[in-house]
Amino acid sequence: MDSFVTPGSMEAISSVYLTSAGKRDGDTETDTSREMKTHFRVCRFIMETGVKLGMRSVPVATACVLYHRFFQCVSVSLYEPYLVAMSCIYLAGKVEEQHLRTRDIINVCHRYFHHSSDPLSCDSEFWDLRDSVVQCELLVLRQLNFHVSFQHPHKYLLHYLLSVKSLVNRHAWSRTPVAETSWALLRDCYHGTMCVRHAPQHIAIATLYLALHSYGVELPVGQREWWQVLCEDVTKEHIDAIISDLLHLYDMEAKWT
Amino acid sequence: MDRMRKIKRQLSLTLRRGNSGDKISETISPQDTTHSHSDSETMSVRGGGSTGSLRGSVRAGGGGGSFSMHSLLQSYGSALRRPRSLGRSLSSYLNHTTRLEIVHEDVKMGSDGESDQASATSSEGVHSPVRVRLRNNPGRKISTEDINKRLSLPADIRLPDGYLEKFCLNSPLFDKPLSRRLRRVSLSEIGFGKLETYVKLDKLGEGTYATVYKGRSKLTDNLVALKEIRLEHEEGAPCTAIREVSLLKDLKHANIVTLHDIIHTQKSLTLVFEYLDKDLKQYLDDCGNCIHMHNVKLFLFQLLRGLNYCHCRKVLHRDLKPQNLLINDRGELKLADFGLARAKSIPTKTYSNEVVTLWYRPPDILLGCTDYSTQIDMWGVGCIFYEMSTGRPLFPGSTVEEELHFIFKLLGTPNESTWPGITSNEEFISYNYPRYRADCLQNHTPRLDNEGVELLSKLLQFEGRKRISAEEAMKCPYFHTLGHRVTTLPDTTSIFALQDIQLEKEPGNRTSSLSDSVNSISRQHSLLF
Repeated sequence: MDSFVTPGSMEAISSVYLTSAGKRDGDTETDTSREMKTHFRVCRFIMETGVKLGMRSVPVATACVLYHRFFQCVSVSLYEPYLVAMSCIYLAGKVEEQHLRTRDIINVCHRYFHHSSDPLSCDSEFWDLRDSVVQCELLVLRQLNFHVSFQHPHKYLLHYLLSVKSLVNRHAWSRTPVAETSWALLRDCYHGTMCVRHAPQHIAIATLYLALHSYGVELPVGQREWWQVLCEDVTKEHIDAIISDLLHLYDMEAKWT
Repeated sequence: MDRMRKIKRQLSLTLRRGNSGDKISETISPQDTTHSHSDSETMSVRGGGSTGSLRGSVRAGGGGGSFSMHSLLQSYGSALRRPRSLGRSLSSYLNHTTRLEIVHEDVKMGSDGESDQASATSSEGVHSPVRVRLRNNPGRKISTEDINKRLSLPADIRLPDGYLEKFCLNSPLFDKPLSRRLRRVSLSEIGFGKLETYVKLDKLGEGTYATVYKGRSKLTDNLVALKEIRLEHEEGAPCTAIREVSLLKDLKHANIVTLHDIIHTQKSLTLVFEYLDKDLKQYLDDCGNCIHMHNVKLFLFQLLRGLNYCHCRKVLHRDLKPQNLLINDRGELKLADFGLARAKSIPTKTYSNEVVTLWYRPPDILLGCTDYSTQIDMWGVGCIFYEMSTGRPLFPGSTVEEELHFIFKLLGTPNESTWPGITSNEEFISYNYPRYRADCLQNHTPRLDNEGVELLSKLLQFEGRKRISAEEAMKCPYFHTLGHRVTTLPDTTSIFALQDIQLEKEPGNRTSSLSDSVNSISRQHSLLF
């Protein structure tokens, strides 16, 4: 699954934003950046597993938010992040009415770690693992205080895209994959904690903003900026903060590969 | 075989020892900079270490299953850092449960702090009671109102004797500022979130996942309904329970049942609800299926009021029926059982269409429509309105076909002019219903006045988009006799707070319902799944 987009034009923008926001991690690897990387990998795992399980975008997003919220409350050194991630996937399925079976989750995750091995047989240790997932789901529920329904940016982005599309020259729109890019950027947002730190509307605006800028698509200028028209309470600072967070993620990924 | 067992035991010992010994190296080991894919591969080789040969021998002895299991366990732990098997994370989980039981997470639904979610869930640090006690301020005088305000307890709560004295001595509660975490600790000290706080009385009913007991809170002496959800079930916490709790936490309204407390134990999850004497079904039975028409109006208004509150928050109930409407002796009606409800924003076609109990299910849903919205609940309101007015269910079908037959017999078989698009609905065509003419609703509801019939017909519309909304329904002429003040009450105020709103005595009451203990056995089915 190649979800991570890095269009060429992104790098130029990336450098602008990163310098304007100030480089946040120095050369020494701090605990926070190490944690960020762990969460990045585990979220990648959630998304890949989600695709293999046939989960829709919103349940996958819910799983990531559950995961991030959980580790906002507890230290990552206390719990096995991949187990928590499996439970978050399971719980997200329940919350978003796309029920998944533990057996499927375990099989898919097993394959993720062991590409060529056979599925686990139904022995007592399989049951133990299943119990762990179920128990850990309870732990997540408890830690999050049963606050497990979230508003996601997806539906807002969809509406914004429809509105913006009507403002843009039809040919320009068909030439540039703004919709696909903003959607991919939105999905990538879930690799970091911005999905729990920013309002869903703001994230939707920011990903659309970045996608439009990446392709140099210009919108008609009126009395107010287009994003002010779409979402009343968003400011340029919000957009910049989200974009900077997102580019920071891309930057981090680019550095370690 | 004996040898096998020995080896296995040795193996598990090694693993366990290895894990505990690894703690330090694990925390200081730097992150790999490779991708998770390659990570897991390298680690499953690397992670073997000293136990590798042992595992090999287990496998040779025929334990193939356990081998693959071990490597899975290993890789779960080791994909990123040093081996840290599931066993450890599980045991740390177990430690945490016991720890978490001391500091109970949530406590009272009526709290003010839903806005600060981050702090609400930040229970990583568990404050020992000792430290908490240091913060208190013994000189301060505390009143019951203070406590109620702090804990958002119901205003009529009665705290047991000696309770205030205890708190004057050792409570951090009234020493500002009070963080959410501290508040949780202190609530736990009082007894919230603990099973010991509640005394189980009679069993009220039993369902697949849950058993409901009548209970009493030692803390307040109030009656409560304890919904005990079994967790041994292999699928973990039932999704109905998860949805119910996550939604009910955000719903605070006089016409919605209050969730007081949640208790976690190893084997069960207990939801503590306020106790109401009976549901609408029993109320109907108790008064000989003939509710005073004034009371019908009061109940319907309260139902709409609760529902409007839900719909404004994009929450659909999806399972309205008399068994889910609880009524206390004051005549307050409250919506219960949000197991099928969900938070919902814009309509998408993803919901399963098997959601509403057949008798109260609207025809568009019966015919396979999955694109529904708040209007899904309004049909059920119409059916319940009819049932209250006449004493019998409106469309008691036992199959989808029969249910639709009942509906069309009364309201007329739909055609293109009464329901545009219906003639191309394949399910509708396949049933091939006779062409009934619409009956006059008034003939079926002799006790209902014209305004009532008008409202009923607006609720019983085939098409969802034509059905009246809860908000509009509350404004219709039928309710004008209640006065306009009922529409301006704050959310959490009961309509009976108004002087001129009073429940009429039911003429047909067979028993004095309150002292009737026989009936209570079958009560509160609504709380079951």
